[in-house]
Amino acid sequence: MLRLHGIVGDRRDHALHHRLHHLEHHDAIEFLFVPEADLGRRRLRALTDRGTECAVSLDRDDALYDGAVLFIDDDRAVVVRAGAPRELRLRPQGTEGALKLGFLAGHLHWRVRFEGTDLCVVLDGAAADYTARIAPLLDDGIVTVVGNAN
Amino acid sequence: MNAPALSPATPAKTAPAARVGIGGPVGSGKTALVERLIAAFAARKVDLAVITNDLVTHEDAERVRRSGLIDPARVSAVEAGACPHTVIREDPTLNIEAADDLERRFPGVELILIESGGDNLASTFSRDLTDFWIFVIDVAGGDDIPRKRGPGVLKCDLLVINKADLAPHVGVDLDGMIAEARRVRAGRPVIVTNCRRSEGIDAVADHLEREVLFRT
Ligand SMILES: Nc1nc2c(ncn2[C@@H]2O[C@H](COP(=O)(O)OP(=O)(O)O)[C@@H](O)[C@H]2O)c(=O)[nH]1
Ligand SMILES: [Mg+2]
Repeated sequence: MLRLHGIVGDRRDHALHHRLHHLEHHDAIEFLFVPEADLGRRRLRALTDRGTECAVSLDRDDALYDGAVLFIDDDRAVVVRAGAPRELRLRPQGTEGALKLGFLAGHLHWRVRFEGTDLCVVLDGAAADYTARIAPLLDDGIVTVVGNAN
Repeated sequence: MNAPALSPATPAKTAPAARVGIGGPVGSGKTALVERLIAAFAARKVDLAVITNDLVTHEDAERVRRSGLIDPARVSAVEAGACPHTVIREDPTLNIEAADDLERRFPGVELILIESGGDNLASTFSRDLTDFWIFVIDVAGGDDIPRKRGPGVLKCDLLVINKADLAPHVGVDLDGMIAEARRVRAGRPVIVTNCRRSEGIDAVADHLEREVLFRT
């Protein structure tokens, strides 16, 4: 369990952004999804999307928000995401689609999980920002969007 | 500042006390639960304080103070006036001040239980006031209470169904009531208690130790 107290900063802060970007390339950022209704809590125990258990406390005048960085070191960061995870579900056609989609998803450091032969991408931004990066595969019809949750 | 402790046994010294609300209809057993929890947390060596919200008198506060299980100075009374839900939701200032005051007077306090004055099924706690809140309903209120989907039942962090002992006497199907409560709460926690005989109290204390005190 990671026992965390207080907020390190905003992921958009210049200095943090730089360090987070580096960690992102090592797939070392963990998201802690907090439902909107729970953002006002000053104590919270929850799992990150990578399964790390976090016990979070805040001072009374502090509050969680989307993008709050709760922990960062050289190996890992924990970042709050408000609301439920949003996913883009992609279905490759045949070996070519699967290979190309898999290659790009890895290359772009997308956060993915597999469901059967579908690839589910956990979104960190607009779905259109993701589909734009695989536009050629979508245009060729070797990958199709089968679900865009939320 | 960020201060990840090395292990769960290392408390974050800087963290303020956890504030836990206890709401629910009048007579469901909120004060009885508070009394039982005082004993349970004393056995667990949790540094505790209590706030009660009485309509005009300080009846519940006096009752808790007289229990002999807690230093009476650690029990504060807030007068809720005619609108018990206002002081826990729309304007919880009085309760926040009472909690701040307890933290100042007892610097090591780890947990503050805040009993609401008792209201209907619609009462909820403000997140400004509590980190976690329990809603207490009782078996004698009828097994159709969960089905009514009141905000208290739906939104609380933990639903307690009290007076399990009365189920056979009031013709309530307890198992059905529990199942319905779990269903409307989409699987979020429900614990059954009998505060008369202190049954289920350890389960509630365990839950709080884990979810808000981070002891286990
Ligand atoms: N049979 C039974 N009675 C209970 C139980 N818990 C509380 N009571 C009784 O219910 C009444 C109301 O309890 P109280 O704690 O004052 O309810 P509150 O208004 O929610 O604070 C009292 O007479 C209690 O003794 C229980 O588990 N079983
Ligand atoms: Mg009471």
